Amino acid sequence: MAVAQVRKPPMGGIGKRVAYYPGCSLEGAARAYDVSTRIVAKELGLELDYLEDYNCCGAMETKNVTFWGTMLLNARNMSLAKKQGHSVIVAPCNGCSFSLQRAEYFLETDKNVFERINSLLREGGVDPLNEIPHTYHILEWFYHEAGPEKVKERTKKPLRGLKVANYYGCLYTRPHFYARTYSHSGTEEQERPRMRETADDDEHPYYMNALLEAAGATSVEYEPMHTQCCGGPHSLSDEQVSEKFVMMLLQTAKRNGADIIATECPLCHASLEMYRHRLMMKGVPDVDVPAAYFTQLLGLAFGYSAGDVKLKDNLSDPLPVLQRLGLA
Amino acid sequence: MAIHERSLVDPERVLRKERLVIDGVDVSGDWNLIILPRVVEDYDLDFYDEVIAQPEGKTIVNCYQCSYCTASCPVHNYWDERYNPRHFIYLARLGLIDELQKRADVMWRCVSCHKCTHRCPKGVLVEEVLKAILRVMAKRGIIEEYPSKKFDKFFMDSVYEYGRIEDGELLFGWIEKQGYQVVKDPILKKPIPFFGGVPDWLKDLAAKPIKNMNISFLILNAKHMLFHPRTKNWNRFKQVLRKVMEEEGVFTH
Repeated sequence: MAVAQVRKPPMGGIGKRVAYYPGCSLEGAARAYDVSTRIVAKELGLELDYLEDYNCCGAMETKNVTFWGTMLLNARNMSLAKKQGHSVIVAPCNGCSFSLQRAEYFLETDKNVFERINSLLREGGVDPLNEIPHTYHILEWFYHEAGPEKVKERTKKPLRGLKVANYYGCLYTRPHFYARTYSHSGTEEQERPRMRETADDDEHPYYMNALLEAAGATSVEYEPMHTQCCGGPHSLSDEQVSEKFVMMLLQTAKRNGADIIATECPLCHASLEMYRHRLMMKGVPDVDVPAAYFTQLLGLAFGYSAGDVKLKDNLSDPLPVLQRLGLA
Repeated sequence: MAIHERSLVDPERVLRKERLVIDGVDVSGDWNLIILPRVVEDYDLDFYDEVIAQPEGKTIVNCYQCSYCTASCPVHNYWDERYNPRHFIYLARLGLIDELQKRADVMWRCVSCHKCTHRCPKGVLVEEVLKAILRVMAKRGIIEEYPSKKFDKFFMDSVYEYGRIEDGELLFGWIEKQGYQVVKDPILKKPIPFFGGVPDWLKDLAAKPIKNMNISFLILNAKHMLFHPRTKNWNRFKQVLRKVMEEEGVFTH
């Protein structure tokens, strides 16, 4: 790590049973993330209550078209979670957790938004929100409700010898208004009234490092690329920029000795895999690092097979690397 | 001497003299670079009001031009230094429409990574403010239809129609919008990924699950492409969505 860092112990307090908002992607192309997330949650003694009949969160796209529409989409999901008796929503996708947290921010800080959205929800035949449920990224939940100790305890087949570049992406820690992250260095003068005790460090996140290290893997130095953009919402519409960004991510990982990139967002994952393939076709050097969801790696460590965590779904073929190290 | 944010100065206003003598003192080499002053008269202060009127644009009032956002911005640092969030906010506040229009070709390039918003010491939601500025520009017709806006609309249409999105539809629909020939089956009019004029990388990637014999993955995605996943009881909610979008003047379905 570039910074000497004090790691927070798991604090709990989020709840062992939460509403699970998988998001559209996890039920389609990112099926592997969904399946492996359920496996990891089960192993760690946590319970995911599937949010029935949810709608799209709007990701990073609809908010550029309509402010009120996007608020409505997310408020509907929050209302569904309340109806199922939950005050905590957990989302495994950076885009989804961002959207829900963004809605949370505007609903909490702007009274007009809160009132208008509630009357619109009533109009749409959905229960209005009395109180606003909080959204956590699944990584934060895993870290605080289970923690590295529990992961170590559950590990049957340690990921020995696997060098991982932990890629967090943008919206897991940013912006602090929505993600409620804290500043580790303590030199920030700005006030962060909405900061959350359990949230990760903003510029130097470590929850994924801690969990994978507990499972036996080694983290390679990956700052500051661990929170650098992959092209995100522009990965289809602005190919030049996305290609350059992904090239930087892959080359840094490779040159720092990583065997694999661990991801925690289906959009980043898809962007990495797609552009990895295109860059390799172009013959760009040092871009052949495969990507896998961190839950897939944890699943392997917990003794599940490559088929169980759907490693074949990954278009970047992490299987040969893992087989070489005897892990899959 | 280096000029801070040189890219903001029009090249024709920069004068560099080989030999410069002022009051009998030869200052060549140190002070030989001069920027001609400019006179600006076409302020449009309504522009600023329109930005503030949007819920995301409100925090623009806090900006004190420290340039932390620009220093953090990956598009500025790794792609094009003409992309400068601080400067866009500055121009929007002054209402310098012409200057904004000059930069319309890079202004849409924001990748929404939120480094700017995160690091702003004054609590300006920079990314949101820039999107608000773009929206006002689009409303006034001083920015052309740009790729990411087309994609956002395309995405929104899908959400509006079904309540959920589907990766295959989004990907191939977008590829088709780019002018590629996508072959479709004759009955349901759904794209078949392996034929036609889709780019090679996409053909390769689409063929991977077949090569890997990943049957369950293929079945799942084929099912989703044929029967778009939907949110139940969506119709009533859709009407409300339509209402708010019509009020905002963005309903185009």
